[in-house]
Amino acid sequence: MKYAQLIRLLVNRELTLRYKRSVIGIGWSLLNPILTSLVLWYVFSFVFASRLPNGQQFAPYLMAGILLYTFFNQSLMQSAESIANNAGVLTKIFIPPQVFAVSSALAGLINFVIGLLPLALVCFISGQSIAWTLPLVFVIGISLAFLSAGLGLAISIMFIRFDDTRNIVNVLLLILMYLTPVFYPVSIMNPTIQKIIHWNPLTSYLDAFRWAFSNNASPTIFSWIYMAIWSIGALLLGTYVFKKFWPRTVAML
Amino acid sequence: MAIIEVKNLTLTYRVLINKSSSLKELFRDAIKGKARMIDYVALKDISLTVDKSEVVAILGRNGAGKSTLLKVLAGVLPPTKGTSSVTGAIAPMIELGAGFHPEMSGAENVLFYSALMGRNVKEVKGRIDAIGEWAGVSDHMHFPLRTFSSGMVARLAFATATDIQPEVLLVDEVLSVGDADFRLKSKHRLRELISNGAAVVLVTHDMSAVLELATKAVWIEDGLVRMIGNPKEVVASYEAN
Repeated sequence: MKYAQLIRLLVNRELTLRYKRSVIGIGWSLLNPILTSLVLWYVFSFVFASRLPNGQQFAPYLMAGILLYTFFNQSLMQSAESIANNAGVLTKIFIPPQVFAVSSALAGLINFVIGLLPLALVCFISGQSIAWTLPLVFVIGISLAFLSAGLGLAISIMFIRFDDTRNIVNVLLLILMYLTPVFYPVSIMNPTIQKIIHWNPLTSYLDAFRWAFSNNASPTIFSWIYMAIWSIGALLLGTYVFKKFWPRTVAML
Repeated sequence: MAIIEVKNLTLTYRVLINKSSSLKELFRDAIKGKARMIDYVALKDISLTVDKSEVVAILGRNGAGKSTLLKVLAGVLPPTKGTSSVTGAIAPMIELGAGFHPEMSGAENVLFYSALMGRNVKEVKGRIDAIGEWAGVSDHMHFPLRTFSSGMVARLAFATATDIQPEVLLVDEVLSVGDADFRLKSKHRLRELISNGAAVVLVTHDMSAVLELATKAVWIEDGLVRMIGNPKEVVASYEAN
């Protein structure tokens, strides 16, 4: 593919630039989830740990949630913003703008994979072992990258046209986070909210991820099908919205 | 066959009348029935061909549509009506250093800029030293770009953009880059590329450059071609206007 080299350079740039001026550099990708998890674990372990179903451990449960949600949040925002941020280039040189969104999602995926190392460590410490279904984690990761890139493409148009989209999306993402069982067990919620959580696509990704990594959740067939529908749907929607509106939007840049 | 062929090109922008720049305002205006769109015509029925080794200068006041035309030629803006076809590799020199990143080193930026222009990164890798030397920034190539002066950045961008013989050069007001020495050097390189067969579209307000380089001039006003032909005559009428 003609743009493979450019994507490689972009991913590389995104991974190295984020931490360019810090001493440990990409080590932050390792440290970030550990620190966040540590704080939340300290706060919530008293409340939630005992409420998990038998055999599930709170520390890896929490960390997996943070890792996956951060991956989604960052890839989505970065894909959407990368196009607006590179307006200077996109109005002068012909490059399919999707290249930028895909690179951002890929960078997010790589950060996620790096974060699996500390997660594995936490699993061992809490007495779990890595499940033999581990390769499925990468399938889930790629699906989530598709979801973020697709949605990112769709909202990138809004980012360019309307200044306040960023704030609105941030609020929506915050609500979405609370409706995803990142740090609480689903069973503590009332039935109505449980239903909403059930239909939240991120719940399916998260269940599948926790199960595939260390058998720390029990996804159903529904989770897998629902995940596939969302990933493919988001990609199609993003491409469609983008193709339709980009020619008009680029004129505004 | 001409390298650049533009036929009956029309380009319209759709703009919101009170140009809401936030969703909140758009929502409010939509409820009040105030959100209306108008079509703004930036280019009207433009036809133009550029052959090998030809240099076409585009003249016109600010906002006449010159840069919009370049963007259509670069393939960035799709035409609303008509066609624009460009054969071969384009070296867009529309804004030197678009895509440069201040935190990356000079060498990394050269690679990145080349990749943006669709060039083969592996080939460019071997050329980095030569590019840096031609731009006169050899000593700085491994420092972040933010330590470069703006003239050095422009020189590096010019050197990168013109390092490979392109079929098409789109030049927008970048001939006045750097000091006198470098200006001479860059004009020389431009001539070299032209004599090797590059088709050039040049947007500039510098009439002496037009008279010196152009083989044809196009005068655009309000998106319409007002005059096209011999550079001397077009420049004379443009300046008399």
